[in-house]
Amino acid sequence: MKVRFNHISANPGAMQTMLKLEGFIQTSGLDSRLYELIKLRASQINGCAYCLDMHTRESRKMGETEQRIHLLHAWREAPFYSEKERAVLELTEAVTRISEQGVPQDLYERVRTHIDEAEYVTIIMAINTINAWNRIAISTGMFPETETR
Amino acid sequence: MRLNYMKVQPESLQTLLKLEGYVKKSGLDHSLLELIKIRASQINGCAYCLDMHTKDARAMGETEQRLFMLSAWREAPFYSEEERAALALTEAVTKISDAGVPQPLYEQVRKHFDESQFVNLIMAINAINCWNRMAISTGMVPGDYQPAVQK
Repeated sequence: MKVRFNHISANPGAMQTMLKLEGFIQTSGLDSRLYELIKLRASQINGCAYCLDMHTRESRKMGETEQRIHLLHAWREAPFYSEKERAVLELTEAVTRISEQGVPQDLYERVRTHIDEAEYVTIIMAINTINAWNRIAISTGMFPETETR
Repeated sequence: MRLNYMKVQPESLQTLLKLEGYVKKSGLDHSLLELIKIRASQINGCAYCLDMHTKDARAMGETEQRLFMLSAWREAPFYSEEERAALALTEAVTKISDAGVPQPLYEQVRKHFDESQFVNLIMAINAINCWNRMAISTGMVPGDYQPAVQK
């Protein structure tokens, strides 16, 4: 595999702008482990290997279990995600695949039983941010380093 | 409308406007930017954004015909090679989970855009994808948008 080019050196202004998006989420008060779950699930759907590698590492450092990461693809069928996490994961899937059916009203209502309007907007911004990183990484051909055992 | 995100979370709007401001000043042609925004909004099904950007594009002098044919741009003769490359990239990046950005498409786009401009195109596609997701998720209703006379 070959990186197409380094987007940071080719266009530092774009990177600065992306960091503003990321900065907004970081200071928004959103739970950082929940944010990692959002990033992992979106990156799984979008197929971003670089982002998956980065965020599985970040999640593990934050104390996330290997099991919860492995089963994230199948979170609906696993008992160890909280009701709030389930609502946010479902929202992450709907918003990442926005062209399929938007955000149905029953999903919106389910999510809003766990979070208020401001946190709802923050979570949409979080999903937007990881979707943007995924698109940059995939488009410029970024890939993860092979781990040495 | 489900909620007014500008009111309940003004910081989110400020952040999106920074992204939009970056794209606006990136040097990409503004009528090309409107084509990107309209095509992404068609794919994502964002009625509010379609209403806004078709009005903006018309106000900037875009023809009705080029906007009406945009979803079938491959089969229409009146888009430039540069626009065709940017539209193909817009579709691939908006539908990123389908096939990513295949190498032939990357090479086609790079014939018309250098590395920095390529990143700017990705940022433009990212920006409209963000607006689409915000508008759809918060249930924004189309219809009343009025374009500024001088964009």
